[in-house]
Amino acid sequence: MKDRLPAIRIDDLTVAYDYKPVLWDIDLIIPEGVLMAIVGPNGAGKSTLIKSILGIIKPIAGSVQVFGQPYKKQVDKVAYVPQKGSVDWDFPTTALDVVMMGTYGSLGWIKRPGQKEKKLALEALEKVGMLEFKNRQISQLSGGQQQRIFLARALVQNAAIYLMDEPFQGVDATTEKAIINILKELRKAGKTLIVVHHDLQTVPEYFDWVTFLNVKGIASGPVKDIFNDDNLTKTYGINYKVAVNQ
Amino acid sequence: MTSAQLEIQLIGAIVAIACAIPGTFLVLRKMAMISDAISHSILPGIVLGFFITQDLNSPLLILLAALTGVITVILVEFIQKTGLVKEDTAIGLVFPALFSIGVILIAKNANDVHLDIDAVLLGELAFAPFDRLVVDGMDIGPKSLWVIGSILLITLTLLLLFFKELKLSTFDKGLAATLGFSPAILHYGLMTISSVTVVGAFDAVGAVLVVALIIAPAATAYLLTDNLKHMLFLSCCFGIFAAIAGYWLANVLDASIAGSMSTVLGIVFLLVYLFAPKQGVFSVFFKERQQRKEVSLLVFLLHLQNHQEAEERHVNHLREHINWQKVQAKTVLELASKNNLIYISDNIVSLTDKGQEFTDEALLYITTNKVTAIEELKERFFLFRG
Repeated sequence: MKDRLPAIRIDDLTVAYDYKPVLWDIDLIIPEGVLMAIVGPNGAGKSTLIKSILGIIKPIAGSVQVFGQPYKKQVDKVAYVPQKGSVDWDFPTTALDVVMMGTYGSLGWIKRPGQKEKKLALEALEKVGMLEFKNRQISQLSGGQQQRIFLARALVQNAAIYLMDEPFQGVDATTEKAIINILKELRKAGKTLIVVHHDLQTVPEYFDWVTFLNVKGIASGPVKDIFNDDNLTKTYGINYKVAVNQ
Repeated sequence: MTSAQLEIQLIGAIVAIACAIPGTFLVLRKMAMISDAISHSILPGIVLGFFITQDLNSPLLILLAALTGVITVILVEFIQKTGLVKEDTAIGLVFPALFSIGVILIAKNANDVHLDIDAVLLGELAFAPFDRLVVDGMDIGPKSLWVIGSILLITLTLLLLFFKELKLSTFDKGLAATLGFSPAILHYGLMTISSVTVVGAFDAVGAVLVVALIIAPAATAYLLTDNLKHMLFLSCCFGIFAAIAGYWLANVLDASIAGSMSTVLGIVFLLVYLFAPKQGVFSVFFKERQQRKEVSLLVFLLHLQNHQEAEERHVNHLREHINWQKVQAKTVLELASKNNLIYISDNIVSLTDKGQEFTDEALLYITTNKVTAIEELKERFFLFRG
């Protein structure tokens, strides 16, 4: 294990919007093969951290390495599931078509998706239990179904690292269970999963790794070692008691 | 029909298609008003280009003017990024400034420039056939037909090559960026094509009406389809229809051709807005009314199922008990009996076997929150809908 490169290595990362630091001097090592939650209060910079890893936001200092190289050289190793609200669901397209978009990265410019890409997309739809909705216009899907479509789109990318921004937001309990089962399956297959998560109660049940974030990095490590009241209090700033390890 | 008439309609139709294609993407990107900004602010570019080239159809002039369009977009984004004003305000600040520079340039050099403000605003399609392209002494058609035709050819080629990329970056900019398709390149590519198109169409339809050709066909098509390719195709069809119908309307009314084209587009949009099968105003109104009636019917059936005692199922009691007005109670009763869900004897209402079966199944779907299954259930059981 020692010689293996971490999935993601972040050094001295600082990001600011209009001179206000959103992330301050973050050092973070995410080992390969973990299912990790990023937790922290609103405005802690959780989404920003994910977007900085992806190079969507340019940091004012520091660096991010994906398997030892800058993200730009590892584009095909990373899949991203943005927040559901980040797109316009009235866009004229179907569930299948959205999932196919996940294959565009491997196609590159100009080349069109064909039968092979369609097959991959259908398989991914089946995996998230959405095959019967493949021809449904995306605005006709429920919030949970839309989230599953986004997950399927990330699955077809067949990446090594999955970055997810609040995949459980606004989904019902059934969908949440379905999504977490898929995530656990992916981890079993050796993938690294990084999930922005809000529900502290479910952290020990769902995840094996956790990062506490509040502008600064508070702690990062195995859930069983560091998911405790002390770190929660440091992160959320109030005396936090959560039922852990029961 | 004379050849001049044919040529005018042809130019109109090609202008309409060339505008409808970038228009579709602008509408989906919620950037429709940026076309308004571009169409106005290219004026100084056109005037300056004319000083240099002395030819309104010169490719250099088109490129210069298109550059002004792209600069407009950059300026708007720059002002907006300061966070001091919102995007619509930034648009409203930039384009009048550039447009007025163009107006002053024209007024100051009225004698040299073959342009007047009317033509700038509304265009003059009727004169297009007079300016011919002559090669080796041979007349090969109106210049503006060649200009806008070439622009359309470029647009179509780019659309075919980059359809996938445009779709992706329009739907999900973040994903496009992470997959290595620079949203900035696609954004400015689209802005450049829009600017070139607007310049090419400017001569024919002017600064104000070109906006109608960009936005209206796409907005109309958006109401009719949920497939991007169909939307592009429909936008083009509406554009062509408006060009031809607009020409003949102008003929009858002896009015501006561009004005008539825009009027036709406005009417087509209004008709689709009102009568579109799925999203039209009337269709939505009737669908909601139908749904209200069918929900009432379901409430009524559940009540019958809940109460075996005769006095709870008496027609008059139902009226008081469920607290419906006479008319509503009557329509619901009628709908239920037309569909053989209930029978009435001695003014006592009872569920039929079919009604019983329907209610049981509906109840199951309601408790398990399967709304779509209820719709399918209605399809199976109802002979008549509300």
